[in-house]
Amino acid sequence: MSLKAPPSPARRSRGRGGQSGRPVRRTSGGLARLGPLPWIAPVVLLILAVVVWPVIELIRTSFLNISIAGIVRGSAGTDKYKKLFDETDFGHVLLWTVLWTVVVVGVTMLLSLCLAQLFNQNFPGRRVTRWALIAPWAASVLMTAIGFKWMLNRTAGVLNTVMIDLGIIDSSKDWLGSAGTAWPWMMFVAVFVSLPFTTYTLLAGLQTIPADVYEAARIDGAGSWQTYKGITLPLLRPAFLVGVVINLINVFNSFPIIWAMTQGGPGSDTATTTVFMYKLKETDIAESAAMSVVNFAMVVVLVLIFLKVSRWNEED
Amino acid sequence: MNKRAAAAGAAVLAMALSVTACGGDSGGSGDKNTIKLVAADYGDKKSNASKIYWDKVAEDFEKQNKDIKVDVQVINWNDIDKQVKTMIQSGNVPDLLQTGGYADKVADDLLYKADEVLSPATQKNLIPSFAKAGEVDGTQYGIPWVSSSRVLFYNKEVFKEAGIKNPPKTWDELADAAKKIKKSKAADTPYALPLGPEEAQGEMMMWELGNGGGYTDGSGKYTIDSAKNVETFNWLQDNLVKPGLTYSNPGTTDRKTAFADFAAGKAGMLNGHPSLVQMAKQGKVDYGVTTIPGKDGPLKSTLGVADWMMAFKDGGKQKQIKKFLDFVYSKKMLKFDEMYNFPPVTQDALETMQSNGKHEDLKPFFDELQNAKFYPLGDPSWDVVSAEIKKSGGKAAKEDPKKVLGDLQKKAEEAAADK
Repeated sequence: MSLKAPPSPARRSRGRGGQSGRPVRRTSGGLARLGPLPWIAPVVLLILAVVVWPVIELIRTSFLNISIAGIVRGSAGTDKYKKLFDETDFGHVLLWTVLWTVVVVGVTMLLSLCLAQLFNQNFPGRRVTRWALIAPWAASVLMTAIGFKWMLNRTAGVLNTVMIDLGIIDSSKDWLGSAGTAWPWMMFVAVFVSLPFTTYTLLAGLQTIPADVYEAARIDGAGSWQTYKGITLPLLRPAFLVGVVINLINVFNSFPIIWAMTQGGPGSDTATTTVFMYKLKETDIAESAAMSVVNFAMVVVLVLIFLKVSRWNEED
Repeated sequence: MNKRAAAAGAAVLAMALSVTACGGDSGGSGDKNTIKLVAADYGDKKSNASKIYWDKVAEDFEKQNKDIKVDVQVINWNDIDKQVKTMIQSGNVPDLLQTGGYADKVADDLLYKADEVLSPATQKNLIPSFAKAGEVDGTQYGIPWVSSSRVLFYNKEVFKEAGIKNPPKTWDELADAAKKIKKSKAADTPYALPLGPEEAQGEMMMWELGNGGGYTDGSGKYTIDSAKNVETFNWLQDNLVKPGLTYSNPGTTDRKTAFADFAAGKAGMLNGHPSLVQMAKQGKVDYGVTTIPGKDGPLKSTLGVADWMMAFKDGGKQKQIKKFLDFVYSKKMLKFDEMYNFPPVTQDALETMQSNGKHEDLKPFFDELQNAKFYPLGDPSWDVVSAEIKKSGGKAAKEDPKKVLGDLQKKAEEAAADK
């Protein structure tokens, strides 16, 4: 929109006095004609090169027939999508992706609400504990996941040893070896690394609530649960929504935790769509691209929801 | 002035960005006198990494051939196939590749025939059975690099402690021995069954051979879900997995874990290949080897595995490659085999290793190698099938084998139709 405004005077003057001596003085005006274009061009080019172009390549690849050696053998039409939807594992991978996202985000939000409340109180050592909370965030997710993988190791894992010593289990278990026990552990790690960001978002939200509202509530004789439900939660909604949506996208896309801990195995029993896409790459790049396109579509839906939610938020 | 400089700067930046983004020129052709070699890493620690071997080979070769350079890249087994695929796809094709399979590249007409890049003398020096396994429809493309056969390793001390007198010859004897080991607590894992992604296709075939099964029938058609194979996995579930005589989740346990457990004295027995000999020695495990037990008796032909060298046509460096391969196969073969204790694929190396007395521990492998059975290596669809088996074959040890194997069979048939 703003692109249109500045060029018009320049264009007019040029059209009239094109042959006069004026253009010499107009050199800087010529640049002005482009308006902000020179300034945003690098960014636009960057977006074209690293976002738009790969997406186009991705979609193109998903309609190709590519041999396992990596040679393009021509078009495959929609065969790769059919093959993808026919995969025996596809259904439960989708189901697990939804469960994984909902459970991890849900638990994260609940725990973060409590933690934020705690960190909002004044207590000795608050500064140190607030710092400590950043640790899981500051460490690389991959590192954290690998750390947990070894802590859960069947023969050498420290968590197995601790649990045996505490009498929780009686012999060391191969936690990550089967889907039933691997999922809860991976969800635990995912919650663990999501907590800091969410807690800080909520904490920031809590600190924007003016103290006089609480004072009024107290004078009116509201109990603490009543105050929380009637004042804190509604006023916390903007921060809460941001936390939910950003976590949804993050957790849905979460690859390193699952890849580092189980590689989606056994089979694809602990794979989400993102991990499944990566595994398909080993046998069929084009089918993997098709999975990526489906993933991409799902993320776009999530982003649209985010935009809608954040706008609705403004109007409120 | 300032503005113009800034504009120029912006333009340069934009160009730089777009160039780097689309960059990575396909350097396949590149310098005619540089051979790009990509090889798998056989080492299990820093001191015996294959990079050490190849760097030395390249150095010695370059000394003799001043005009040719060798660019070595060694990649670990887990990543090599993926990375090579990416190289081919991006047009950055290596000139020489040493890895596990070759036939998929023949299907796309990427490789030189063996006789185009080997002198007749080098070709004659290859052990015929391996040269034959390198053929697709009667033409040799795959050049064997190392070979190995599989045998059953057992820990003598564990067997003694459990009161087992003779190594098992049949499945029932094996299950019985495993039971005794468990009862006497002589080892954590009585039989180590690694069906994880690393080499599920190997362990699976060793068991299937014991029941007269396998991946293909005589005519080369896939028979992954044959009744015999299903029966094999039912037996494994009922006799090893469910009674807790092996890992609780074989489908996620990799071969390297099993080997490490055996070398640490934590496993009673397992199917292994020659590198386990060295690992066991270093772990001071007093081990014995015997032919892998089958359902009713020891395997008549065990699983033979060969890894392959192949030369790509893309760079057009036939002459340089030929020089290099002749050098490696005539002068450096023995060194690699001795470094990792692998049975060789060339006749002169085999003679040396059999006669110089340094490789007594390899004798059982030499013997078994005579009538070993291979994967369907010459089938261009095998690489897809093998990747699928790695991915989900291990599930057959816990879930309904008929369903797991049936699923694989379906995928194999699709792949075979697609080639």
